[in-house]
Amino acid sequence: MSSALLERVATGARWRSWLYRGLGAAAAVGLLALLGVLIPLDWVTTLSSVFMYIMLAEGWNILGGYAGYLNFGMVTFFGVGAYTAGVLCTQYNVHPLLTIPLAGSVATVVALLVGVPALRLRGVYFAILTLIISFLTQVLVTNLGITGGASGIYMPALPFDAFTNEQIFYYAFLFLMVLTVLLAFLIEHARFGYALVAIREDEDPAEILGVRTTWLKTQALLLGACIAGIAGAIYAFHTSYIEPQGTFSLDISIDVVLMSLVGGLGTWQGPVIGVPLMLVTAQVLRILAGELPFLGTALPPEFDRVVFGVILILVALLAPSGVMGLVRRVRGRRLTV
Amino acid sequence: MMRHAADVPAGSGRPSPNGLVADTSAGLSMRGVTAGYYSHDLVLNNVSLLARPGKVTVLLGPNGSGKSTALRILYGLLRPRSGQVLLDGREITAVPPHRRLALGMALLPQGRSVFPELTVQENLEIGGWLLMRDRRRLSAALEAIYARYPLLKEWRQKQAGSLSGGQQRLVEIGRMMMASPRVILIDEPSVGLAPVIVDQVYEEIARLKEEQRTILLVDQNVRAAVALADYVYTLEYGRNNLEGERGAFEDRLEALIKSWLRF
Amino acid sequence: MLTTISLSLLVQALINGLLLGLVYTLISLGLSLTLGIMGVVNVAHSTLIMLGSYLALELLQRLGLDPIISAVVAVPVFFLIGVLLERLLISRVARTSQTTGLLVLFGVLVVIEGAAILRWTTDTQVLTVSYTNASLTLDGIAIAVPRLIAAVIALALVVLLDTFLRSTLYGKAIRAMAQNRDAARISGIDTDRLSLLVFGLATATAGIGGVVLAMIFPFDPQDHYRWLAWAFLVVVIGGLGSIRNTLLAGLLIGLIETVSSILFPFQYVYFIVYLLLVVALLVRGQGLAGSQSRAL
Repeated sequence: MSSALLERVATGARWRSWLYRGLGAAAAVGLLALLGVLIPLDWVTTLSSVFMYIMLAEGWNILGGYAGYLNFGMVTFFGVGAYTAGVLCTQYNVHPLLTIPLAGSVATVVALLVGVPALRLRGVYFAILTLIISFLTQVLVTNLGITGGASGIYMPALPFDAFTNEQIFYYAFLFLMVLTVLLAFLIEHARFGYALVAIREDEDPAEILGVRTTWLKTQALLLGACIAGIAGAIYAFHTSYIEPQGTFSLDISIDVVLMSLVGGLGTWQGPVIGVPLMLVTAQVLRILAGELPFLGTALPPEFDRVVFGVILILVALLAPSGVMGLVRRVRGRRLTV
Repeated sequence: MMRHAADVPAGSGRPSPNGLVADTSAGLSMRGVTAGYYSHDLVLNNVSLLARPGKVTVLLGPNGSGKSTALRILYGLLRPRSGQVLLDGREITAVPPHRRLALGMALLPQGRSVFPELTVQENLEIGGWLLMRDRRRLSAALEAIYARYPLLKEWRQKQAGSLSGGQQRLVEIGRMMMASPRVILIDEPSVGLAPVIVDQVYEEIARLKEEQRTILLVDQNVRAAVALADYVYTLEYGRNNLEGERGAFEDRLEALIKSWLRF
Repeated sequence: MLTTISLSLLVQALINGLLLGLVYTLISLGLSLTLGIMGVVNVAHSTLIMLGSYLALELLQRLGLDPIISAVVAVPVFFLIGVLLERLLISRVARTSQTTGLLVLFGVLVVIEGAAILRWTTDTQVLTVSYTNASLTLDGIAIAVPRLIAAVIALALVVLLDTFLRSTLYGKAIRAMAQNRDAARISGIDTDRLSLLVFGLATATAGIGGVVLAMIFPFDPQDHYRWLAWAFLVVVIGGLGSIRNTLLAGLLIGLIETVSSILFPFQYVYFIVYLLLVVALLVRGQGLAGSQSRAL
């Protein structure tokens, strides 16, 4: 076979595989859209939270996964988004729909203020700094008058019945999640994504070779922050009450890292796999533990925390590339056969 | 007599210096060692060496030929993928570096390796770590080192990091000699030192040779190294290349160095 | 009249600040040791401190042990916890990647905190002993007895550890390992075993720190982040490699806390410390990277 022909066949095969993948993804999204009207209320709520965490994890993954800068303060941007929506809506009577893009913008601005100095630090020091900034923001929000301090903000309710309400949030989170996953997919296959990976692999040579590392890292942080801010705003309306302890909880930051890690850092599929896996694990554990005689049915939520902590340790130690790492290894093996 | 590694019949196993049957029960040797830091490339490919007791063996080769890696393997800082390291016939491939002093081995590493924020005396005490349970032997060893290198006694309260490069080299030598090793591995002893100091370092190596210690010297400073050598090995692309007695190398030095400059 | 009162108030604040500063030095020692010697950023440090507080509580409630005795009991208990942590987790990751180590230690933090809530709930606890409310008064300056005892214990440990690292051969070996790990190995030092010792010691100081903190502050399983920030601030300001500098930094933080709690409402102290830490990290965070990079 001539090489030109070979190439055409290969291109055709590549196109076909893209087509199949695209159709598969569309079918999956269609199925999820259909589920929104088919499944019971508490499932709708659970899936909404899965979608929200996928958004957060994809947003985190841009800087944390591809570029290897572990942000342990993702909740800062999520909380800022939630509070922007809350404050604008309750104090300035801004229309709820308008607060959502504004929340994304404010979170982006905060990320810019934080990121420009913070991204000069590397490795663990960047991680510690982002952690402390999330504490700092929490203290600030707790003590400001405009945020309602420790007593928080009651969000206005939407004028629908409970089920419709849940469905609205279901579709909102689904829509945004699909956009976020698509964005992550595009980044992964674009120069931007390759440059971020180059930063993760070895930052100094990347910089010497002309990769504008500082600007790229900042962009990655801003994108993630914007996504987290939007997610936070919708979360605020969904949960109907926000206060500093829960909205800025370190648990959220850690869960986002853990879920991305379990799925596979630096892959667009990672969060899509990791988030449901962890949330389902938590549910199953609750059910299983409820059956056990000595723990009883009233299992405190801290039990999940302990299990999540153990999983974090085990995955970091034994399977640092997560589920995607295992998938790739199996695929690789198949190819060499 | 100098021979090419390719001349050694394949499958004959260990190289046999001088064409005689090597007495592999004595000295430090490496047999058929293959090693690399990443899975896809090999830094050493089936390398065999022997440092004979009481002799100076010199390992030469262009940059990146695997000399330093060979030394790291001989001292246990790196594990080979295959092959063995033997000391007086006993396999020590897996013996960790901190146990090697007790076997009578020592390594003088390349570049600066003093503990900069400890005093000179504290640096020496660390060299005598094996004697830590026996205060008297430790102070005796310390006195012996001060007698051997009187300058160290003068500097003993100074922070090692405050000394010049050449002075630090002497601290490193003193620290190594605290354990009075029989087998000494030396990696690039003259790198980064002023010419006057370099001469002193080679004088010290000559003294170690006179004391009948077994020395394996890895060096870029080909002339100085060969002048001290009893036996010379060269590596190229991580493989054994030439080997032979010093005499066979002395007249071929120019050609050898020139050929390496191409790399 | 007014000036004498405010003067004595100032002196009292200074004394309180210095006493607190000694305690803050104690809770920072472990973080400084693991970072400076092993290059490990132990974010779980403060959960170990929190466990120390609960050890004191349990020993007081069950056996009626005075926290001063609990501080002694904490040494072997926490040394062992540290050795186990090092052997099981830290030794596997610390040298491969600092960020993997960080992830693992975040996991440890989450596990300990969750387990503590399961065991002790989120209720705030106070250690009450005979001298809890006692104070020494001198010239109108009152010093709380628990603070004094806490500070004395802390000072004793700081001096002990400093002497150990400076004067004993083991201490010198630990410092040598911090300065050049490979050079220490070729000098015959078993750096893996020495790391066990270092992590054990660091964890023991965290445990004692927790006991001592429980003498002066109420505690719960979740407020340990505060101590993590305080300890990091001390370490970042004091730098690595010298316990004396850590002491100076600890005293400074103690003074900053007491002075700012006179000037502002208490919750602002958190804000000030977090902000100081952010600034300190930005100014010299990377400079802390330490000497771990030095190798043969």
